[in-house]
Amino acid sequence: MAISESASREPQTSQQTSQQWLENEPAVEVVGITKRYGQVAACDSVDLVLRRGQIHGVLGENGAGKSTLMKVLIGLVVPDAGQVIIDGRPSVITDPIDAAAKGIGMVHQHFSVVNALTVWENVALGDQDRLNPQAVRNEIGDLSRHYGLDIEPNAIVGTLTAGLRQRVEIIKCLRRSPRTVILDEPTSVLTPGESEALFEGLRRAVEDEGMAIALVSHKLDEILGATDLVTIMRRGQVVANLPTSQSDAPGLARAMVGRPVSLRSERMLADRPLADRPTQAERAGSKSGLPKPVQKTASLEIRSVYAQGDDGRSLLNGLSLAVNRGEIVGLAGVEGNGQRPLGDLLSSLLPVSQGEVRVDGHPIVCGKAGAMARARISVIPEDRHDSGCVLEMSVAENLFLADPTLVSRRGVVDRRKMMDRAQGLIDRFAISCEGPTAPMWSLSGGNQQRVILAREMAHAPRVLVAAQPTRGLDVGAIEYMSSQLRQAAEEGVAVLLISTELEEILDLASRLIVLSEGRIVGGMDRDQVDIEQLGLMMGGAGT
Amino acid sequence: MGALLDIIGNEVTYSSAMRFAVLLLFAASGEWVAERAGTLNISVEGMVLAGAFGSAVGYDLTGSTVAAVFVGSVAGFLVSTIQANLSHRLPADQFVVGLTINILVLGLVGFLDNVLEPTVVRASQLTIPVLASFPVIGPALFDQPWPLFLVYPLVPAMWWLVYRTRWGLEVRASGEDPNSADVSGIHVNKRRRQTIYVAGITSGLGGAYLVLGAVGSFADSIVGGRGFIAIAAVIFGGWTLRGSVAGCLLFGAVVSFRLSLPDQGYDGINTEFLSALPYIVTIVGMALFAHRIRPPAALAKPFLRGLN
Ligand SMILES: Nc1ncnc2c1ncn2[C@@H]1O[C@H](COP(=O)(O)OP(=O)(O)OP(=O)(O)O)[C@@H](O)[C@H]1O
Ligand SMILES: [Mg+2]
Repeated sequence: MAISESASREPQTSQQTSQQWLENEPAVEVVGITKRYGQVAACDSVDLVLRRGQIHGVLGENGAGKSTLMKVLIGLVVPDAGQVIIDGRPSVITDPIDAAAKGIGMVHQHFSVVNALTVWENVALGDQDRLNPQAVRNEIGDLSRHYGLDIEPNAIVGTLTAGLRQRVEIIKCLRRSPRTVILDEPTSVLTPGESEALFEGLRRAVEDEGMAIALVSHKLDEILGATDLVTIMRRGQVVANLPTSQSDAPGLARAMVGRPVSLRSERMLADRPLADRPTQAERAGSKSGLPKPVQKTASLEIRSVYAQGDDGRSLLNGLSLAVNRGEIVGLAGVEGNGQRPLGDLLSSLLPVSQGEVRVDGHPIVCGKAGAMARARISVIPEDRHDSGCVLEMSVAENLFLADPTLVSRRGVVDRRKMMDRAQGLIDRFAISCEGPTAPMWSLSGGNQQRVILAREMAHAPRVLVAAQPTRGLDVGAIEYMSSQLRQAAEEGVAVLLISTELEEILDLASRLIVLSEGRIVGGMDRDQVDIEQLGLMMGGAGT
Repeated sequence: MGALLDIIGNEVTYSSAMRFAVLLLFAASGEWVAERAGTLNISVEGMVLAGAFGSAVGYDLTGSTVAAVFVGSVAGFLVSTIQANLSHRLPADQFVVGLTINILVLGLVGFLDNVLEPTVVRASQLTIPVLASFPVIGPALFDQPWPLFLVYPLVPAMWWLVYRTRWGLEVRASGEDPNSADVSGIHVNKRRRQTIYVAGITSGLGGAYLVLGAVGSFADSIVGGRGFIAIAAVIFGGWTLRGSVAGCLLFGAVVSFRLSLPDQGYDGINTEFLSALPYIVTIVGMALFAHRIRPPAALAKPFLRGLN
């Protein structure tokens, strides 16, 4: 039944439905929702109204309670108090199936697709009727065309890039023809082009079909560009509710954090002319009194590395790069061009077929567990759930998982010492959690990221590789993470910043290199950046 | 060398290999489904034993082999309800539960066997014309006690169930990524319980086949660890049904080989070594193919909502 319903989703049908909804009629109302976790009130009598035909932005710092609120709406979290009213009727949402039946669908912050299954199997997961592969594949085709989300239905999801995996998730949600859609940080893994396409599709759904959309995001320009209304949450409470047209980025940031924040884009404007600005290396050099080409041998050096995946696909294709002490090198490139294999290489997860990696001139064995870490290469991994942390273990255990020697004597963990040290790191990195023994899964996404940063910095690394380090962070936390990376560089660490966000690289790096199809296709100094040239290189066109 | 040739050319070898392989096939096909859903169901040993004893009692009471096979599968199912509900409704550890069940069933069956002393016969032979006269392997495959023939539709049915039905899709999702499955609206623990019931029924059938088809009598030592070999076959098969079937046939051949050697007057090979062979083959196989075979990602991990 679901199949025939959504298979008939043609442009004409959506025209018809457009007459059936009233402009700005409430689709979902949340009244006084409260949810506590121990001492923490994740949501504290929150009110929110999602109206048909509107995109409603929800902003807030890490841990503000956004995801918790959204999970109440799809029945994954049972609130302690409060009510959800759907189409005017008070409703109790018991689980995601129930939510889908009541017209609410969600695209999750952390992927909820099964990597071992194909795209169409994932999309069909959770239906009730008989399995009809061809019908599902056809529907995926229809939805792809309608919303501009191209995807191959027979691909195994685990082989897709993060952007495509999320596309699967969005299609899965839209296929149930929801009247209300919740998107929790949908663009954190998308390229700018992909995000734009997504918002175009959403706008169409809102205007033609009267969908109500809640969009959780940390990206202010995204909220400003895509939403009609914004709600700002802080520490579990709604602190502001205003039409997007009456707000601007500094105002939103201030409301969100509760203090003025220096925004990356503003800083960049203020920093012009660029040539006047000292580079990180210069700053680091002047501060610690090091000569300018800091050392003859680079701290991290990768020499024409080739590596293949299990399926024989080439992942790294003669990649060479060097990072000196005290500099931040930004590695730009479109997602899926070798960022992940490079991160894996430097986490000892990827053996190479040719080439070598050196730290301070000493060659390091590739693909041998722990070899890179022993050479004091620290990696903040791209996907914190895949390889970043163990969700079932406590914050303290996660902090010292990679190197228990810091808190143990003759192989026996000293629990007191571990707790003390963990508390120290929690304070230093301002991790908001119940304490060192809180399980990792109870932390919000942004705070999990801080734990990983703390863990990597606790090792006094020589080389710090940060892969998409601010993905999913709020503006305050981004500011913090950036200052930590700068500080690390100033202390003489060689920092390699892998990011698909050009802004981030332009803000932090003193030198840029561009990755395309598994190798470096070019580079330039921060002060001589030519955006157009950079774009060409990222597309694999420049030389 | 002569011994090997004698054995390879002999129809009896294949019949006897088939006899051992079929018991494994019954048990392993259900076990495979349970493992795909995320349960490493070690109580399969107890399920087979319960099925064997159930069918013996069933025959003793009714005098019908059909009824006996039915009672056997019900006995396997009953054992599976304990495993399923303790480990996927209450959060009891699946291995502890499985181990306990195996011990419990063994004790209970030993006791009841003494009390009831069921007598059994071998089920009637079924011969498929033409096919059974195929040289060397014809009799092994097509001239056998009738319960053996149940395995032919059973194995493809399991494949169809897991790969072609919605239920199977949800089973695979539950075994790979229970959190995502849950978020998609799947009752992960319910699916896991159901797959254990499937394993219970097929293992019960395997037990019935063992008593009525292979041996023709009952003793409480009749299963003798072959439930565990069925688990090894699934692992050896890299959690694919095709591989599991191959594992069952291989291990069946190894066991019958061991038994037929002394019969034919060769006792140069250490039979204890041969008993250990299935396990050795499994370990070597795992070592060789470890980079290619991948267990269901959530195998043996309990699912509790909130741990996401
Ligand atoms: N299952 C849980 N157990 C205990 N505490 C929890 C649990 N889930 C969330 N919390 C706490 O509730 C608060 C709100 O978390 P939530 O995930 O809703 O934040 P968020 O606004 O989505 O943040 P982010 O932007 O980092 O994703 C956090 O302090 C978090 O530690
Ligand atoms: Mg969140």
